[in-house]
Amino acid sequence: MTDVLTAIDDALDTGVVADDDPMTRELQELALALRADAPEPTQMYSEWLGQQVEAGFRKPRGSKPAWWQRLLQPAAAVGMVAAAVLVIAVAAGGLSRSSNDDASGGSGGGAAESASAGAQGATDAGGGGGAAAVPRAADGKSAPAGAGGAERALSSSRSTLPIVPPAGRGFAPGRSDRRIERSVALELETPVDRMARVAEDVTAVTNRHGGFVLSSSVSTGDEDSAGGDFDLRIPATRLRPALRDLSALADVRTQSQSGRDVTREHVTAKDRLRAARAERRSLLRRLEVATTDEEAEAIRRRLDLVAGEINGLRAQLRDLRLRTDYAVVTVSLLAKDHNEGGGVGGGSFDDALGDAGDLLVTVAGLIVRALAVALPLGLLALAGWLAGRVLQRRRRESALV
Amino acid sequence: MNEALVGTVPLPAATQTEGFAELYERTFPRVYGYVASLLRDRSAAEDVTAQAFERAYRKRRSYRPARGSMDAWLFGIARNAALDELRKRKRRAVLETDPEDSAAPAPHDQAELALRRETVRAALATLDGQERDLIALKFAGGLSNVEIARVLRMSESNVGTRLHRTITKLREACHD
Repeated sequence: MTDVLTAIDDALDTGVVADDDPMTRELQELALALRADAPEPTQMYSEWLGQQVEAGFRKPRGSKPAWWQRLLQPAAAVGMVAAAVLVIAVAAGGLSRSSNDDASGGSGGGAAESASAGAQGATDAGGGGGAAAVPRAADGKSAPAGAGGAERALSSSRSTLPIVPPAGRGFAPGRSDRRIERSVALELETPVDRMARVAEDVTAVTNRHGGFVLSSSVSTGDEDSAGGDFDLRIPATRLRPALRDLSALADVRTQSQSGRDVTREHVTAKDRLRAARAERRSLLRRLEVATTDEEAEAIRRRLDLVAGEINGLRAQLRDLRLRTDYAVVTVSLLAKDHNEGGGVGGGSFDDALGDAGDLLVTVAGLIVRALAVALPLGLLALAGWLAGRVLQRRRRESALV
Repeated sequence: MNEALVGTVPLPAATQTEGFAELYERTFPRVYGYVASLLRDRSAAEDVTAQAFERAYRKRRSYRPARGSMDAWLFGIARNAALDELRKRKRRAVLETDPEDSAAPAPHDQAELALRRETVRAALATLDGQERDLIALKFAGGLSNVEIARVLRMSESNVGTRLHRTITKLREACHD
């Protein structure tokens, strides 16, 4: 077979039939006849097409395909699909991120979120976020829905603290006389040169809100020794604005708070006091009508015991009232490290590296999300394109059948 | 420009037009012959040939030498255009006729040559579309078996086998 084909090619090349085998020679003749019989273009057509080629197949003006026709070109279509996928992926990534942020804020930030992060959230919210948690429980009223940052800060604070009784009727429905002991600890961070000023402001804020400074100590030496501690008592009803003002004095590094419901103790003491008073009244009536000295003496002894009990209960109630009417607020002043960031352009090299790393991780996350969407779609598009090519080829070939 | 270079080396943008013009000069009669053989209609063949060269001109930057010779690339385009035209004509249910042969032998030509041509044409009519396509690529298009393999997307040995079978069938048809 190869010899025959070679012989045919030789005949086509040379135009000579010269094979020894009669059959091969016949095939060579047939090949030459087929070539000689090939249609030839007319002179006029040849000239016209030659001019077209020379002119570069220019089309008349206005024959440019419409924009939508250009969009249907494979490259443009693929580009558009890719761009759309990327936009969708980036948007989805952004939504996912924001929903994650909301979720972490709404769920208390998770166990991994630190108290300092929550305190920072309070700072970001204008210092009112962290403080907002207290009045919600203290007032027994629902606080108005705050900004997202404040809500997140509130939730973050909750995550690191003992359970604070929630607002309103959530904890003990129907009880308007709840007694709750509150304590709040704040760590404020300020530059050493502002330490004294902030210390004065802490006292001023406390006084302004009707509280008092139980004890304080401030050191304004060098950066290592500078600091201060304040033990404050602030009326529970003024705790919210007071914390807001305190948080505004300096950067809040951490904030923690706790609450303890002492309503049961209070009620019990009151009931016991009422009973003791009733007993005293009864004893006094019996003393008036006592007929013998022995009887009167016994009643007096009992009256002394009851009076002691009443005094003890009164003291207990007074103590409870003090502890619940005034919140314990401890403020620690810390010297701020000069290297720590202070503004947009500040920050150490390590911070910058950390930020860059975070940015890279975010971008990588977006790319992964985009690829997660784009790859399957791309594979589908590729499969569709290949199937289309095969189908088109088969349809073309069907013209020969 | 060296003719061999036109077929094997991608041309810089500035010389693309010149290269294409040489390609046109070299292949135009063969492309037309192939298309006209396939379509058996000179008028349609002229349209399709012009269309094929225009497509090739506009796509000339997409040509890759690694995927075959420039001739094979051009004949692939022409074949696609011709098959599209055949499909259109099928849809239009136009009765196909053999082209009027302007190069037919004049009355004074040798009667034997005229008879032989008629015999070959009659034999060609007995082939199916794919066989006629193969014969047209080989003898009207003047392509090598390697180039035909590129155009038809099959192996060279398969092209050789089919070509041998088809030309043998054609010879037998000439004897019938």
